[in-house]
Amino acid sequence: MVIDSWKSQIKRGTLEFCILLMINKRPYYGYEIMNKLDTWPVLSAKESTIYPLLRRLLKDGFLSSSWQETAEGLPPRKYYTITDKGKEYLEAMSQEWGNLLTAVKGIEGE
Amino acid sequence: MEKVLESYLEKVSKCLKRIPVSERADIIKEIESDMSELQNSGKTSAEIIERLGEPQNLAKAYLGDLLVCGNGFSWNRFLTICAFYSVAGFSGMIVIPSLAIIAPVFIICGVLVPVLAFVKMADNILGLGIPYMENIKIIFNGIEELTPVAGFIFSVVVGVLLYLAGKGAWKLLMAYCRKTSRIKSKLSV
Repeated sequence: MVIDSWKSQIKRGTLEFCILLMINKRPYYGYEIMNKLDTWPVLSAKESTIYPLLRRLLKDGFLSSSWQETAEGLPPRKYYTITDKGKEYLEAMSQEWGNLLTAVKGIEGE
Repeated sequence: MEKVLESYLEKVSKCLKRIPVSERADIIKEIESDMSELQNSGKTSAEIIERLGEPQNLAKAYLGDLLVCGNGFSWNRFLTICAFYSVAGFSGMIVIPSLAIIAPVFIICGVLVPVLAFVKMADNILGLGIPYMENIKIIFNGIEELTPVAGFIFSVVVGVLLYLAGKGAWKLLMAYCRKTSRIKSKLSV
């Protein structure tokens, strides 16, 4: 369906923004991020999207990561934390996001 | 960890050969951790594997658009490789020899031209009477000949231009070789 391809196009850029917004609040691990995103069907994404995306953000220096043991006897979890560079990036993204929303609203209201 | 899940991880790891060992281990460890979380939330191994998708596809997501190790023969891979070698082989047949000749010849000429013009000028000014000097001259429009001094200045300019052109050709040659080998390593053949 056409709407699905449009949705996936929008999601591609938005996910990065949403993930950084989440990690900006507190450290998250991958599975947790996916669960949280699942709350909103429009954002829900699977491993094959989330993990490579996290890896890219890590490589670009926007995130840092550390393995932490769990109390529940599960294997260690890889937690992601936002870096200063990531915060700057997020700041710029928020700004652009605001511009985008204003633009869309402006056109809608014409 | 169950056998099916272990073999799934092994397959992913095999497809990520191009990624350095330590990074690859980290990726696998993270997927393994994810599997445990899914198991903990009550999912069966079959459900987990269905959710993660084909191991090759998961690996491909990490590698971006690069070709991943295929399971056996794939037409896509075969054609990509054929296309690469056709283009690289054919363009190389023209590009490499041309540049390899142009680069040194231009550089040598760039040095020789002003040197010869200098000798001519020195001969003319000091009256040294060096033989064959009448053969060295710069002629415009087939009639006007430059004086030895003007000829020398002109030849220095030409020499510099030739030298730069030779240098440029050499850089192009290196860039071409580097680019081709980089593409080839991406194809991992």
